Amino acid sequence: MLIRETARSAWRSLTSNRLRSLLTMLGMIIGSGAVVAVLGIGEGARSSVEGRIRALGSNLLMVRPGMQAGGGGVRSGSVQTLTRADATALETLEGVAAVAPEMSASAQLRHLERNQNASVVGVTPEYFDVRALPLSSGISLSDLDEQNRSRVVVVGANLASELYGSSSPLGSKLQINGNAFRVIGVLAAKGSGMGSPDDSVFVPLSTHASALFGRDHLSNVSLQLKREDQAGQVQAQAEQLLRLRHRLRSDQPSDFEVRSQAEMLETMGQITGTFTTLLGSIAAVSLVVGGIGIMNIMLVSVRERTREIGVRMAVGARRRDVLRQFLFEAVAVSLAGGAVGVGLGYGAAQLLARFGEWQTIVPPYAMALALGVSALIGIAFGVGPARRAARLDPVEALRFD
Amino acid sequence: MSPPIQVRELSKIYDAEHAELAVRAVDGISFCVERGESLAIIGPSGCGKSSLLNILGCLDRPSSGRYELEGRDMASLDDDELAALRNRHIGFVFQSFNLLPRMTAVENVELPLLYAASKNSRELARAALERVGLGARERHLPSELSGGQRQRVAIARAIVTRPSILLCDEPTGALDSRTGQEVLGLLSTLNREGTTLIMVTHDLAIARAMARAIRMKDGQIVADGDAHGVVAALRADEMELAC
Repeated sequence: MLIRETARSAWRSLTSNRLRSLLTMLGMIIGSGAVVAVLGIGEGARSSVEGRIRALGSNLLMVRPGMQAGGGGVRSGSVQTLTRADATALETLEGVAAVAPEMSASAQLRHLERNQNASVVGVTPEYFDVRALPLSSGISLSDLDEQNRSRVVVVGANLASELYGSSSPLGSKLQINGNAFRVIGVLAAKGSGMGSPDDSVFVPLSTHASALFGRDHLSNVSLQLKREDQAGQVQAQAEQLLRLRHRLRSDQPSDFEVRSQAEMLETMGQITGTFTTLLGSIAAVSLVVGGIGIMNIMLVSVRERTREIGVRMAVGARRRDVLRQFLFEAVAVSLAGGAVGVGLGYGAAQLLARFGEWQTIVPPYAMALALGVSALIGIAFGVGPARRAARLDPVEALRFD
Repeated sequence: MSPPIQVRELSKIYDAEHAELAVRAVDGISFCVERGESLAIIGPSGCGKSSLLNILGCLDRPSSGRYELEGRDMASLDDDELAALRNRHIGFVFQSFNLLPRMTAVENVELPLLYAASKNSRELARAALERVGLGARERHLPSELSGGQRQRVAIARAIVTRPSILLCDEPTGALDSRTGQEVLGLLSTLNREGTTLIMVTHDLAIARAMARAIRMKDGQIVADGDAHGVVAALRADEMELAC
């Protein structure tokens, strides 16, 4: 039989019982909508994490104190293994263009009556170049500030607006843990998120170590490479150098880690990927449930239309014609449900992006996947009822009331 | 040219696994139907008329014996070939019309052509509807037609593939006598134009409108001949029983 007639027959059957068709489709709508929305959220999370890592600057290696991944749950930052002397030593490595050590701690900021808890980062003047943090106004920290342990501060964009509102903070006083600092610069906004420079203030490394916190261990050293393709080589050299300096025997694990941006991207990608897969699988379960709904309604439909099947067989329908007709109907229901679900899932992702804090990106493959899986489910759950229809005995079917 | 229908020693036995329970619905009957003949199959309920009709219509297979339709031995054909045979050579007319309720008259008539994948199916379906005098009703649903009109749509569906044989199962059984006569007239006209007509019926008046009649009892043929003669003999037997 012609495809056109099969399609027409399916359409007639679906529209003749609209409420039932809609309810049958609901499972598929919810399932495919959930898949699309979840994949959209996952892809959005991945891209925002990736963006944040890329925003660190280019050609970077990060050296952090603490164990290598897998060496146990020692938190980086709480381990006091990385010193300013280490950072200076790293400058001698070939292939390293610049070294930017930093110390980070949390402190109370106060301007007039406004209080704010924020991350206070001690940095050298190179830091802003290495991490690609341009100023929107004022001047940056200088070597002189570093030498003199000046009490000057460069403020992140968010903090500037939260503490100072619309007025310019330049030249005004900012209290950090009770110590008066002078604001000399404001950073350009970089994008929100945990640990973003927008929510931090930056003081000279020497000031941070002596006047503010009295601690001399680094929380991070950024190495800017001369060439990106030397990342692996420099990474190995840096590890070797630091192991030597820390007097580690060959059987001891490193008490620091050197990671490239590529590795950070990979790790974050794995984490978001795992979450996306997990949530996506949960969403996919509802697609299977939707398929069971379709199977149920198709079995009812075959029973209701037994006589019709008998008539079709009497006028010349082969078993495979009947099979195709019912299979087509099942796939039509599941695909229609899947398509509506894709639309709703896409809409939900857009709404989340607009009104929630989430960045969502619905990748085209997610929609193709949802549609493809819907069609497959239609086939998988429709073939049973369709075979039952095709196997009917025409004499019995014609006699059926 | 061989007769379109040849039946030899044909049996249909239900529940043949337990010999003592087996029902011999059709019990070793033989006959031929010539091209263009009109044949009534009569007999009491349960005499095997319907079972025979199902086999003649290639809807069911015999338990034993030989059935040749248009020179082809049914036993040698698979389900798909039987479907094709029904489509090409046989038109069914049922007591309860068996139109598909959600399809318009012309779509119902078109259905066999779609399974034959024929071209111009819509035009041929319209022509068949014209042929039964319902050209103006092609867009009506079965529920919007009277009983007689529905049966005429069913007849249009039966003749749309130009089959050589029309198999009718009590075609007037659900109609009042006047529309029954109209439908019978239509079938007789088709028969005069060359279609072989086989009709299962209780209604002796309708049986007498055929040229030949077969009387069945307990799965066997008890009389086969001129319809008037067979019907008259049946009446005489019934009178005898009544007395």
